[in-house]
Amino acid sequence: MIGPGTHLPRSVLTRVFLRSLLLQASWNPKGMQNLGLVYALYPALEILYPEPEKRREAVQRHLTFFNTHPYVAAAIVGGVLYHEERIAAGEEDARRVTEFKGALMGPLAALGDGFFWLSLRPAAGALSAALVPWLGAWAAVLFLLLYNVVHFTLRFRFFRMGLVLGDRLVEAVGRARLPTRGARLRAVAAASAGAAAAYLGFEFGAEQGGVGGWLLAGGCLALGALSYVLAARKVPTAALALLAALLAGCLGAWL
Amino acid sequence: MHVGLGHVVLAGLWGALATLERRAFLQAMFSRPLVAATGMGLILGQLQTGLYLGMVLELFYLGTASLGAALPENDTLAATGTTAAAATMAFQTGGGGTPALWSLSLLLFAGLGLLGRAVDHRLEGYSSRLSVHGLELAEHGELERAVRQNLWGIWPYAVAYFFLNAACAAVGLGIGKLVSELPLLALRGLAWAFPAMASVAAAVAARGSHARNAAVWGLAGAVGMTLWTLVLAWVQG
Repeated sequence: MIGPGTHLPRSVLTRVFLRSLLLQASWNPKGMQNLGLVYALYPALEILYPEPEKRREAVQRHLTFFNTHPYVAAAIVGGVLYHEERIAAGEEDARRVTEFKGALMGPLAALGDGFFWLSLRPAAGALSAALVPWLGAWAAVLFLLLYNVVHFTLRFRFFRMGLVLGDRLVEAVGRARLPTRGARLRAVAAASAGAAAAYLGFEFGAEQGGVGGWLLAGGCLALGALSYVLAARKVPTAALALLAALLAGCLGAWL
Repeated sequence: MHVGLGHVVLAGLWGALATLERRAFLQAMFSRPLVAATGMGLILGQLQTGLYLGMVLELFYLGTASLGAALPENDTLAATGTTAAAATMAFQTGGGGTPALWSLSLLLFAGLGLLGRAVDHRLEGYSSRLSVHGLELAEHGELERAVRQNLWGIWPYAVAYFFLNAACAAVGLGIGKLVSELPLLALRGLAWAFPAMASVAAAVAARGSHARNAAVWGLAGAVGMTLWTLVLAWVQG
């Protein structure tokens, strides 16, 4: 009987984790991340299933539809290995791993989208963009650091959780309180964007100098506020930018 | 400084790398506008141009995300293509990057995000065929080849985005001379247009932050920055 955790060699686990970074390489509307998942798992499947027929069956059951958030997928990849080890040892039915993937990919995708795409990335992006005037090109480095310290730490932890906990990883992921932390990060993003709007107006106004400078700074702030209201009313953002450019361009040329 | 084919090729290479990072490998955000545009500016010797275009485009695309099967505008192509064109234009004018030139680039290349989305959509068809082929190979027991289909999904993106970014740099080279002949009135108008577009981008970012009470947080940030600027101006006389 297989005990808790994994018995796969560390080198194989490292290869699986590194190959999972290519999960989306051939994302497609039919199977979505199916090829990426099989590509990541294959080094472990080779060890677990020395017989060609069993290995073929394992590959085929992971070539079915699969789609989740690419970072949180690390937890599912780890969990799949947990189950495949038990299937290979004859302790579980092969359907368990399919059910495991099916049950988790949707909820984990929602969790990953909400935290990484809609909270962490906007917060790191807006904060770093707002710091461009002070940090220059280091703002881009700061963005990468802020984002990736969290990203890679969690991605690696998710993989370990899946490997060690199997189905129980859901409770462990829940304890990370990602939705609560996400809400705070979204507030940081909004405040940083507001600060950037004000700074840009003053910066370019100061460059212009004189009455025109004050007009430009005040006009930019007013345009920002108006754009926020119009964007909330579903006016296309590209149209807003073009109209603002036209208005400011005419004023700038005329004054 | 002489610009030519070398810069066009460099722009294509960086654009292709950024796209691969966005699409196929890692997703560590090297492809976000702030990083991708700054990198393009650095490679082409126009760092400030890349930085300011990256900042505005980062804010503009802050709220967009690839959720589920939805395909958003390609913010990476928008950033790398616009910066490549602006950088080569700046070389041709001989005056370096200016707000007027950045505005012109943003206006001329505003459709790159949509173009990138259309290209992504076309290339997904190829990846679908790879998926079907992978299934067939697995059926016949050719497992190594089946799993390697995943890697074949990478090259069309690299090629397509190499040429698209190189084309943007080439267009910038082509029209750069015309820009220096624009009347002063037009250049002044374009210079004013840049902070206006940046303000809109920041407002769009605050809106796209998905924060509860985003307006309040955005206002708090703007008021805080205004006070800070006024205090600094007062201290410095």
